[in-house]
Formats: sequence, structure tokens, C-alpha cells
Amino acid sequence: MKYIFLLGLSLCLSNYAYAERINIVGSTTVLPIVSQAAALYQQSHPDVQITVSGGGSGVGIASIIQGTSQIAMASRETTQEEQAQLKGKVENIIIAADAVAVAVSKAVFESGVHALSLAQIADIYKGKIRNWKSVGGVDAKILVIDKEASRGTRHVFAQAVLGSSHARAAGASLISGSNNEEQAIISRSNQAIGMLSNAWLNDSVRGIDVLVKGQAIGPTLQHVRDGSYPISRGLHILIPIHASQNAKDFVHFLSSKAGQNIVQQTGYLPVL
Amino acid sequence: MLKIIRFGYLIALFSIAALLWFLVVNTWPFWAEFGLSSLWLDEWFPYESLYGLLPALVGSAWVMMIAMFFALPCGLAAAIVGSELLSKPWQSTLRLSVEILAGIPSVVYGLIGLWILLPWLQNTFDLITGHSLLAAGLLLAMMILPTIMVMSLDALRFVPQEQREAAASLGLDWNTRLITVLLPQAWPGIRSGVLLALGRALGETMAVMLVVGSLDKMPSPIYNILEPAQTLTSRIGREMGEAAFGSMHFSALMANGLILAIISMLLSFMVLRQRKAAQR
Amino acid sequence: MKILLWFLALPALLLPAFALLYIVYQALPALDWSLFVGTQDTKLHFGANQALWQQISGSLLMMLLACALASPIAMSIALFHQLLAGPRQKLFIHALLQVLQGIPPIVYGLCGLVLLVHLLHWGISLAAGAVILAIIILPLLSSNTIHALERIPDEQTESALALGLTPFQLLIRVWLPNAWSSMLTGLLLSMARALSETAPILFTATVFSGVVWPDSIFSPVTSLQTHIFYLAQEGYNQHAIDVAWASAVVLLGLVLSFSLCAFFLRRFEDH
Repeated sequence: MKYIFLLGLSLCLSNYAYAERINIVGSTTVLPIVSQAAALYQQSHPDVQITVSGGGSGVGIASIIQGTSQIAMASRETTQEEQAQLKGKVENIIIAADAVAVAVSKAVFESGVHALSLAQIADIYKGKIRNWKSVGGVDAKILVIDKEASRGTRHVFAQAVLGSSHARAAGASLISGSNNEEQAIISRSNQAIGMLSNAWLNDSVRGIDVLVKGQAIGPTLQHVRDGSYPISRGLHILIPIHASQNAKDFVHFLSSKAGQNIVQQTGYLPVL
Repeated sequence: MLKIIRFGYLIALFSIAALLWFLVVNTWPFWAEFGLSSLWLDEWFPYESLYGLLPALVGSAWVMMIAMFFALPCGLAAAIVGSELLSKPWQSTLRLSVEILAGIPSVVYGLIGLWILLPWLQNTFDLITGHSLLAAGLLLAMMILPTIMVMSLDALRFVPQEQREAAASLGLDWNTRLITVLLPQAWPGIRSGVLLALGRALGETMAVMLVVGSLDKMPSPIYNILEPAQTLTSRIGREMGEAAFGSMHFSALMANGLILAIISMLLSFMVLRQRKAAQR
Repeated sequence: MKILLWFLALPALLLPAFALLYIVYQALPALDWSLFVGTQDTKLHFGANQALWQQISGSLLMMLLACALASPIAMSIALFHQLLAGPRQKLFIHALLQVLQGIPPIVYGLCGLVLLVHLLHWGISLAAGAVILAIIILPLLSSNTIHALERIPDEQTESALALGLTPFQLLIRVWLPNAWSSMLTGLLLSMARALSETAPILFTATVFSGVVWPDSIFSPVTSLQTHIFYLAQEGYNQHAIDVAWASAVVLLGLVLSFSLCAFFLRRFEDH
């Protein structure tokens, strides 16, 4: 009985159907690009298995440090602590760029809130402004949606708005995780504000303009390209220097013409 | 043969001991650094090395209480109806339907919570968001209802027939019989059911995580259950992936797990003592 | 009083049917054959468009592995309890199983994450998930097996031992024929349990997409439970929500088929 079990176990271990498996973990902002690219890539490379999962930029970078994944996705720069651990071991490639939009519910947008200054947004997140009336909307409380601390979107947003990537948001009334979750909460509320990648904006989740020196600038790819939108970022892929050839090939694929087409299709700014 | 049995048993004991040992060892850096005082600090912010456990503890306590508040009367009443008032075929139908309720996986409850409970709460109480302790409590009430019901049903069924007949022959009416004979006799079993259900409510993760809001803040005022909050399990579920292995944050999460384990062990011991007392 | 009781009991009596109907009703838009085998649109083979059979097979595979791991250990605990344990050890085993069963699954998940995924370098893998699930179902499975063996009348065991049967023969000839159905009930219940756990495997065994069929036990899998979890958060995408409900129906169907089998088997025994 035991021998049969051991035999089965060793069969399981030895029988590799794929030449190699590449696990990719990290930012849910980058996830749509990589998932689609992986599906496309596997059609031409059936011997490579690419698994993709989310969790957030912090999770991705942590998994590279811990060696539990082969490639990490991150929607922010690495922090100093992370750099200290990654130094010289990891190549950091930017495959796309996007804007972190200040997203509001449709009802808020239609009640007249089309633009906010960074100081106003900061006050909302610090809990100093609690009603949409104070910023030109109707008389309704603000549902302030914050994100889990490890999320890349939060780092970039907090850096630009609150001054530090780990700044606390005392005014937050809800913590969300992935972009999908946050999008769902904003779309079902009438008084929400949150932070979302511009690719997640739609009819019921509107991105508002940010006032920079009195000028309203929308979270569009155009404004990311010319650098005028203040909360923009590059989307990173982290790959260890000693990664396998297949992993490197896949990253090359992401930066190639075909990969960059996917970037464009999913709503991000290609870097090519 | 006997050797193999003993070997298997020892393996089981060993792996369980190893597991618990890992739990304790990995929380050690946390206790060494912050000590027990973190139990009553109310700020959790890993990036500033603040690991106050109080908000999650309070949140967990609240959801358990809310769940019990709804599930106990409902489940007990259903058990009484099921064992005393329904005819035989209906009894087994009830049993079957409870089985179905118990079989719904927690992530499906989460889905139900997200799509029915949250919008409903938001509209009924005119909240800015339905994510709240009440939502989690209501969802948990649904989940622990089968436990309470099954345990109470069994407890009522095991009340000896002679006792019922004796009470009836004394000319007591149905209500009095229920309150003076049936319930006191079945009480130990019901209490075990309540304790087990509390354990389940404490440890449930997925459903709670989806509806509780995960905001690490004390409810203000403390009886405000209509605001987003955090429980021990939802915190672990949210942050388990993000904490780097070996960091203080990870250790703090393990401490959350250890507290969960200790509380649930205490509940189990209470059930055990109860059983022992009942056997005497 | 009776009216009050009926009133209080009403939610408990109606809830199961209501919940079941509601879930199926919500799932109807997405419940068709293409849900299971995937659509022809090759561009979007992830998230809501993934063919569901991958998730189903992942869940079932993990469940089967967990049961295969837990059964021999549960069996030896039960046999130890019946054959070798003294009264004190019996009490200890009962207490231990009760306590272990009370510990929340997420705690086992955390321990598994540390030990299996990180310290043993298994990574996020089918094996880690299966071991964690095995530990979660172990107390349930063991106590059910013990109960099954305890139901066998003592005279049968004693007369078999008097005939000079070895413990092995005793197990094969007397205990198994007598207790197989209640053992099976226990196993079915454990399978249902393993299939419905989500939190402990979320960070230890499953990924979002990319797994068609796990090629080794150290490969990550996709599972029905976590699939529902990911899709549940895609609030805006109506298709994703439909698929989430449909997946919930499939998962519920699988879980119920095990637990109801156990239910009827037990009923059959009692008569």
C-alpha cells in the first residue's frame, strides 16, 4: 500500500509535461496585460506553462525576494528597503505606463465635481473634508476608499497626494484590495472616491481632473505621455538576472511589438 | 500491523505538534518586541511598526455576538418546532434542508453577502456603505444556524420519553413542559452547540473578509456596528500574502493566528468539560 | 408561545430553499456548456472567460489528494484508539480531535504557508494545498472513523479475537464489512469539507490563471473556490458576476452531492 503510494508520488514528481513553469505574481494593475500576453505566448510556446496571479505589487516583490515566483509585476518603484534586498539581483523593466485616476461615483461626477486640487484630495483622505458639499458637490458624505498598504496604486497615489508612499489616511472609511474590488465598490455607491488605474474607468466609475496650477488635467494617456498629469507611473516587470531563458524570452515578448499591442488594447500607454 | 498503526498515530501527533510549534515560534519575534501590551493598543499600521490588536479583537467579538444574537433564537426555535411540532416526514425534510444550508461553502456566502446583504443594508439604514460589522454578523448568523439547529435538535431528541410523559401526566400544558422540562434537560447539548457555533463564527474568513470592510479602526462609539471594521480573520486573509516571510509584519499576523487558535481552543475545552460533566 | 416559536423559526425553515433558489436564479444567465469548455474567443482566456473545467479539476484533484493523505492517518488514529489505547489515551485522543477541529482553517493555512511554502520551498503548489486540506479534515475524518468502529458490537470483536484472528484479519474480515458504510459517510463529509474551504488555499495553492492541468504536485492550481472569490470582486463586469454565480452553483452542486450522499447513507444505516 505504502509502496504504491510512494510510486505514485514519484511518478507525479518525474512526469513533467511542460519544459518549464513560470510563476508570475504581483500587481493587479499589470495583471490584465500579463495574463493576456501569457495566453497569447503559450499558443506559440506550448511547452512553457505561465501561471499568473494577483495580490498586489508588494506581494509580487516579496515573492521575488523569497524566490516563490520567477517574475514579479509591480505598479510602482521599489522602496529603499526592497532595493537593498534586490540590489544587483533583479532587472527592472518598464513595460507600460498609466495614470492613477482619482475615481468617483457617477452620481458625484454628475453633481458637478469634475476637478479637485491635490490639496483637496489630500484633505479628503486626511479626514478634513468629509462632505461633497465642501468641494462643489451635493450634500452627501464622502465614502473614502483606501487600499491595502502593499498595493502599488496606493504607494503612487499616497506619494503624490499625501507626500509619502506609506502616509496614513485617517479619513478612509473602507479598505479595498484589487482594482476590481475597488471598481465594484465605487460603481455601486453614489458618494465614493477612490484611486484606480485609468484602465478601470468607465461609465459608472469616472475619473476626475486634477487641478495643477489652476489648470484641470484629466487622467488620460495623452497627459501621461506629456508628463502633465501628476499621478502617473510606470508599470514594472521584475525578473532575476539569473532567470531562465524562457522567463527572459517572455519578458522580451512583453516589450516587443506584439506585447505592446496588448498593452494598448488593455488601456495602458505603451513604452515602445 | 500494530506497528504500522502506532507509527501512523505517532506521525499524526508529531505533525500536529510541529504545526503548533511553528505557530508559536513564528510569533515569538512579535511577542519579544511588543509583548502583550499590543493586545490593548488600538492602532495597526505595519509601516510605522504599530501592531495594536484591539480593533480586530473588538471586531471579532462583535461579529460573534451579532451572529449569536440572530442565530440562537432562530435556530433554537427551529429546533423546537422541528422536534416537537412537526410530523415525521416534515422532520426529515427539515433535516435535509439544514444539511443543505450547512453545505453552502463560505465563499458562496460571501457572494450572497456582497450581492444581497450589502446593498440591502446600505438602503435600509441609509449608510454610505453596507460594509459593516452588522453585515458580517448577519452573514455569520446564516452560517452558524445549522450548527445550533442540529445540536439543539439532537439534544431535544435525547430527552427521555419517560420525562415527557411524566410531565404530561402531571397535567402541565405544552408551554410549561417546554420551559420546565424539555429545555433544562436539553440545555447542555444546546450549550455545546452554541460554543461550537461561536468557534465557527470566530474562525470564518472568506465571507467576513468580503463584507466587513477591513478598516483597522475601533468602532466609534464602540457599539457602532454599522461602520466598516476589521476582524482577526479578515486581517489575516487580507495581509497574509503581502507580508514578507520573516518580517515583523508576518510575525504579527502569525500572532493574530495564535490568538485565534487560543480562543478556539478555550471554546473547545469548554465543550469538553461540558461533555464530561454530562457523562457523570 | 407556539406561534412565537413558529415565527422565530421561520427564517431557519425558509432560508435554505430561498438561498438555493436565489443562487441558481442568479446563475442561469451563464449556465451553459461553453461555461465549462470555454469560449472560442482565444484572446481572453483568463478570468471570467476561463473554461471552468480547469477550476473544477483543480478543486477535485486537491480534494482527492487531501483525502488520500488524510485517510491512512485517520485510519491509524482510529485503529490506535480501538486496539492499543488505554482509557486515558482514549480520552486524550477525543480531546485532541475536538480541539483540533475547533481551530480555524485559516490558522492551518498560516502554518502551512510558513512550513510548506516557505521553509520547505514547495512554493505555491498543489502539494501544499493538499497537505493543508488534509490536516483540516483529519480531525473530522478521524472522529467519524472512530465512531464507525465504536458502533460495531463488542461481542463480534471479542468472538473474532477468541477465534485467534490477528488485528489485520480482524480489520479486514469483521470491522470493514460491518463499518464500511459509516466510514464512507465520514469520508464523504470530509470530501465536502475539503471542497468548500477557501481561505487556507488562497495563498498556498492557487493562482489566478494559467494552469490548464497541473503537471506535477509542485505546480500551482486554479480552484473553483478561489475562482469565485476573484470573480466576486469584479463588481462592474456583469459577465464575471454571472460566471461567479454559475461557478457557485457548480461548487455547491459538488459539495452537496458529497454531503447529501453522506446524509442518505446515514439515513439508510439508521433503518
